[in-house]
Amino acid sequence: MRLRYGLSSIRYKLLLTLLASNLCTLLVAAAVLIYNDLQEYRLNLSSELNTQAEILGQASIAALEFNDPKVAQENLALLKIKPGIIAAGLYTATGTLFAGYSRQHSQPHRFPPLPGLDGIQIADKEMWLYKRVVNQQEILGTVYLRAHYDLQQRLQHNLGILAGVGLLSLLASLLISTWLQTYVSKPITSVSDTALQVVSRRDFSLRAHKSTDDEIGYLVDAFNEMLAEIGRRTEAIEASQQALEHEVAERRETQLALQHSERRNRSLLTAMSVTIWISDKLGGFATEQPAWADYTGQSLAEYQGLGWRSAFHPDDQGHLDRAWARAISQPASFELAARLWHAGSSRHRHITLRTAPLFDQAGELVEWIGGISDTDDRYAAEQAVVQLNAELEQRVAERTAELETANKELESFSYSVSHDLRAPVRAIGGFAALLNQHQGAQLNAEGQRLLGIVRSEATRMGYLIDDLLAFSRLGRQAMQMKPVDMMALVQSTYSHLQNQHQGPPVQFRLGNLPDTLGDMSLLRQVWVNLLSNALKFSSKQAQPTIEVGAISDDEKHTYYVRDNGTGFDPAYKQKLFGVFQRLHDAADYPGTGVGLALAQRIINRHNGTIWADSTPGEGATFYFTLPRSH
Amino acid sequence: MEEIEHIHILLVEDNPLDAELTMYGLRNTIANTITWVKDGQEALDYLFRQGEYQDLDAAMPGLILLDLKMPRVDGTEVLLQVKADSRTRRIPVVVMTSSREESDILRSYDLGANSYVVKPVDFDGISDVAKQAGFYWMVVNRHLQR
Repeated sequence: MRLRYGLSSIRYKLLLTLLASNLCTLLVAAAVLIYNDLQEYRLNLSSELNTQAEILGQASIAALEFNDPKVAQENLALLKIKPGIIAAGLYTATGTLFAGYSRQHSQPHRFPPLPGLDGIQIADKEMWLYKRVVNQQEILGTVYLRAHYDLQQRLQHNLGILAGVGLLSLLASLLISTWLQTYVSKPITSVSDTALQVVSRRDFSLRAHKSTDDEIGYLVDAFNEMLAEIGRRTEAIEASQQALEHEVAERRETQLALQHSERRNRSLLTAMSVTIWISDKLGGFATEQPAWADYTGQSLAEYQGLGWRSAFHPDDQGHLDRAWARAISQPASFELAARLWHAGSSRHRHITLRTAPLFDQAGELVEWIGGISDTDDRYAAEQAVVQLNAELEQRVAERTAELETANKELESFSYSVSHDLRAPVRAIGGFAALLNQHQGAQLNAEGQRLLGIVRSEATRMGYLIDDLLAFSRLGRQAMQMKPVDMMALVQSTYSHLQNQHQGPPVQFRLGNLPDTLGDMSLLRQVWVNLLSNALKFSSKQAQPTIEVGAISDDEKHTYYVRDNGTGFDPAYKQKLFGVFQRLHDAADYPGTGVGLALAQRIINRHNGTIWADSTPGEGATFYFTLPRSH
Repeated sequence: MEEIEHIHILLVEDNPLDAELTMYGLRNTIANTITWVKDGQEALDYLFRQGEYQDLDAAMPGLILLDLKMPRVDGTEVLLQVKADSRTRRIPVVVMTSSREESDILRSYDLGANSYVVKPVDFDGISDVAKQAGFYWMVVNRHLQR
């Protein structure tokens, strides 16, 4: 960080400041001092020379007066004590050199031939002086002194000291500045470091560390405060920006939805074959209604305002007015059916007017908008349907009546058949029995056989008639569906049959039979059939066995009757249930062949199925299913 | 030992063959007299001493065997009237008919029939049934003395 700024960093600035101020002070002081010193030097030297000249002069008066150059010379030679004196000379009053002294003996000084005027002269690093020797106001001679006067050297000397001092002070400044920067540039750098971090990390929770309690400390405080404020502002801005973005997005969505809805409405309008209706709040047409004009053929003059009323069928105008009056007093959407004049078909057509009120933002009713849909076709269709229905019902009623009559006829027919047919059959059987009783003994074997045939056939005919009657009656009877206890039913039926059965004792196994829903008397007939069959066809076995059981699944119960009798040829199992179909000889196993057909009919009416399987000689199993009630 | 009873039976049957077989079956069960009428009207006349029977001076029958399907007045009508009239109400009425129809059975019992027997068409026929029924109603069943 410090290096980045290089020479422009505060530290260096401080350093420079220090140096500069030091230097300034130094230079100014030095300048003044040096100048002073040099002045002093000159003055000192000149004063000294003056004094020496004076002394010399006075000392040399006698010499001069007595014209003793040797004494004068000795006097002058005293000046060798002073190394600065280059030469000293004494001139007479007439200006001739009386005595002279040169410091450097090797190279004696060239004395000026004549003394100059009194005074100091300076040239070439030398200062010389002429001073008149005056005794009692008589000029006796002139003293000439010449000294080294190296101003430059002195100046250099001074400057050297200055340089040394300057260096020292530089060092001192460096030290001081290093010490100072802890107090000045360090806090400042820390603040600027913090600032940079805040900027690079966008983290306004950072704070600069306050280490001093001065202007910089104040700066740090202010900086921190600013950061805090920035942080708050930034949060606020971000929040409001998000809210703004959100709003913008919503606005956009709404706009899109609106556009979409508008598009949809537009296409809907064009797609609908509905005549648009736009009326003012009192239900009158205030604007042009091209759709209305197209439909009714009314012109603008005719339909404007409430003129549209006359386009409706006169009988409907009344309830139209009422509906509008109601709607205007309490604005709400409504619909009504009426007949409207259609110009195209030149007649009134059935229509449905649907209209809804449109309110402005203040909740005031502005206008009514709606549509008129032509329901004439539908109306015509409905009428047709109604008519057809009526016709249909009538036809149904007629047909039902026919069927009922037919049914009744059939019923009375089969009733009378059964009754009337039975009577002669009874007579045949009965009288044949009588004959047998009265005269039977007188018949020979053949006669008895013939009579036996008559009797048995009569009996058979009786059974046939009974079965046929039951079979036909079944179709006419209404079934009474009730819960049936199958086990009890089978047990009672079997015991009844068993009592009548002649033959070897039968081993009867009854499994668990589930209850079911059905017509008990009809189901009893089924069991009678199946069980009597089982008994009949197993009667020739040594150990007849009959097994009754049931298997249930979710949809149905399957009941079965199994016997170990003679069975039947499975190739003929389709014929088993045909009316009068028999697969066995009547002589072996008597029967009318109606029983199974009857059972099938009953089971079918219960929505079940019946079938059988067999292995000839080993027995047969008859199955029937009854659907489960849910 | 009880007195041997003599019972008077009124047989109402339109079919002469059936009547013959029935009467044959009833003989030998117990001493009885059978009066046979051929239809309902005759039966009513007989029972209520009207028409051709108005001068009848005989006791009420102790048992009525009643066929249902008859011309003119059928058995149901006879049953109705017999059971409605205090003079005849107590006479046991055995309906003997070829009808196995549930409705007939119900109606007969509703009207107060004492028994309902179906004329069988099988081997031994009516005679046997008549005999059994007769035995019960004449011997086993107690009826009012006339």
